[in-house]
Amino acid sequence: MGLPLSYSLRNVGARRGRTLMTAGVVALVVVACSLFLGLISSLKRTLVSTGDARNIVVMRKGSDNDGSSQLTLEAYQAIRFFDGIARDAQDQPLASPELVVQPFFRTREGGRENVLVRGVEPVALAVHDNVRIVEGRMLTPSSGEAIVGRGVLGRYAGASLGDDLEFGRARWHVVGIFDADGSSFESEVWVDVRELANDAKRPFPYSGVRIRVARPEQLEPLIRRIDDDPRFALEAERETEYYAKQSESANTLYVLVVGIAVLAGIGAGFGAANTMYAAVQARTAEIGTLRALGFSRGAILTSFQVEALAVAAIGFVLGALCSLALSACLRRLLGGIGFGAATFTVNVITLRVSAADLLFALLLALVIGTAGGFGPAWRAARLRPIEALRKA
Amino acid sequence: MDATPGAPLIQIRDVSRRYVRGVDEVHALERVSLDIPAGHFVGFMGPSGSGKSTLLNLVSGIDRPSEGDVIVAGQRLNDLSEDELARWRARHVGLIFQFFNLIPVLSARDNVALPLLLTKLDKAERVRRAETALRVVGLEDRLDHYPRTLSGGEQQRVAIARAIVTDPDLIVADEPTGDLDARNAEAILDLLRQLRQHFGKTVVMVTHDPRALRFVDDAYHLDKGVLLEGEEAARAQEAIRVSAGAAGARGPR
Ligand SMILES: Nc1ncnc2c1ncn2[C@@H]1O[C@H](COP(=O)(O)OP(=O)(O)O)[C@@H](O)[C@H]1O
Ligand SMILES: [Mg+2]
Repeated sequence: MGLPLSYSLRNVGARRGRTLMTAGVVALVVVACSLFLGLISSLKRTLVSTGDARNIVVMRKGSDNDGSSQLTLEAYQAIRFFDGIARDAQDQPLASPELVVQPFFRTREGGRENVLVRGVEPVALAVHDNVRIVEGRMLTPSSGEAIVGRGVLGRYAGASLGDDLEFGRARWHVVGIFDADGSSFESEVWVDVRELANDAKRPFPYSGVRIRVARPEQLEPLIRRIDDDPRFALEAERETEYYAKQSESANTLYVLVVGIAVLAGIGAGFGAANTMYAAVQARTAEIGTLRALGFSRGAILTSFQVEALAVAAIGFVLGALCSLALSACLRRLLGGIGFGAATFTVNVITLRVSAADLLFALLLALVIGTAGGFGPAWRAARLRPIEALRKA
Repeated sequence: MDATPGAPLIQIRDVSRRYVRGVDEVHALERVSLDIPAGHFVGFMGPSGSGKSTLLNLVSGIDRPSEGDVIVAGQRLNDLSEDELARWRARHVGLIFQFFNLIPVLSARDNVALPLLLTKLDKAERVRRAETALRVVGLEDRLDHYPRTLSGGEQQRVAIARAIVTDPDLIVADEPTGDLDARNAEAILDLLRQLRQHFGKTVVMVTHDPRALRFVDDAYHLDKGVLLEGEEAARAQEAIRVSAGAAGARGPR
């Protein structure tokens, strides 16, 4: 049997100051790492949740997002009567023609941000049925009205109920506020599609069409039929896939953040190593005694490694608590956080540090502890009993 | 490790120990030969730097000789690997140090129970034996005390309890009274003598405490790494006796 866990833990507790300092450094890495990962995964969650499994996105062939696609009126007129499209009570097909532009909005703080403005027809609310008007009413076509998502509300000049938004060449009167289950629609401003096309002087009236299929098994055939139609060079895909692809750019950020976290972790590892070297130095005689009493090198190695891990674990707990508290504060103070990296437009996301983000931070902390503790633990284990005892 | 009383428990055969320090070589021990009978209380005496600790460390298997052999209860220590030697120490040797070397973060009971972690005994039995050992050294009312809350004499008694808790045949003590006042030093020497008298332990002690002569069965004298014999040994012993005003210890051989 080796040295008891309590021996390691009590030694950690015995040098409270150093332990807290080292744990503090680990905690900082944990906070930074979990907050940034939380931000990115919140963004991914927002984007991914925007897609509906029953919907199809139709764009011009070769476009990879709404913003760069163009569609003619004829194309829209043709595909909206294809088989397999769901219909509303009035037997109108649930095909929503949409135009996306990305003008600059002036933020309340005086900055400028690209906001996604979506031109729609009333049918949009039926196709995107997670979008609900929570205050005011739906916009009336051809009357210069706009509805704004919850994330946009209050963030930009004029973005509140009854106020006027200025973008493009016109003023838009805000008549309603909508939410959309936390999806990225909440970061958008919706106006009448024809008015928007006029205002933006677009040669083509639409960017794309969103379609609700009647039954799930009709999704694939419909996509194939649109893809294969020789007249318009269109491309269709599942809406969930479309947003999943949009969120892929967040993966690069992931790698970047993980890279930075690892770098910071290496720094923290040196901190942990330093503390543990000091502990080994201070306890040379004690280690010699343990070896003389018959404890093996493995037992010494393990016990010091456990000490380092315990310090890292304390750091993780402190850091995790801090980042949960910080993210709660940020949510409360800022509401949403503008995040413009994944698409050209700003996504207003709700920061949530998830279990997976914390798990990564935990792994990082444990690696810091293991790597930082190994050198000192190895040195301790290699101490020869007589050398160690001479220093008593 | 059973040896018939009086037969040599420890055989030291032509043992030398040299330390290499850079280009210099320190001859800490030069061809020392010695038999120590089972059940004796033996003292190694001599001036500082004479090689006493070095010899003791060879006997307890903490260190290895550069030349020669140490045989304890028939076991040639040179035949054991590093790990085997550690296990051998855990089973057969109880160690007592000048500076007590207790583990600061463990209570008296846990300090004493520490060597039992290397046995197969369960926790209840380990605690029982640790408490028994502490009773033997008269510290049954200090079980939960931490080293820093104990006096030097008490700490050394905890260390003695730790040394006897595994019931080893051999107890080695390096300057066990070196850090204690006169009253505590005598109490510790008396305790070591009792271990030999009541429990039949072989006790090997390094000391330059003249009082020790009144307690040990045999005293050996080292000087500059050499074991003194005959005239020289008698003269060394006489010098100590005079300095201490002590009497009663038998001379070597
Ligand atoms: N680990 C070591 N490395 C180098 N020299 C040592 C070492 N241990 C002891 N010595 C030297 O060996 C000699 C004997 O030391 P030691 O046995 O500790 O003497 P004593 O215990 O009688 O005071 C001394 O000169 C000491 O400096
Ligand atoms: Mg010495």
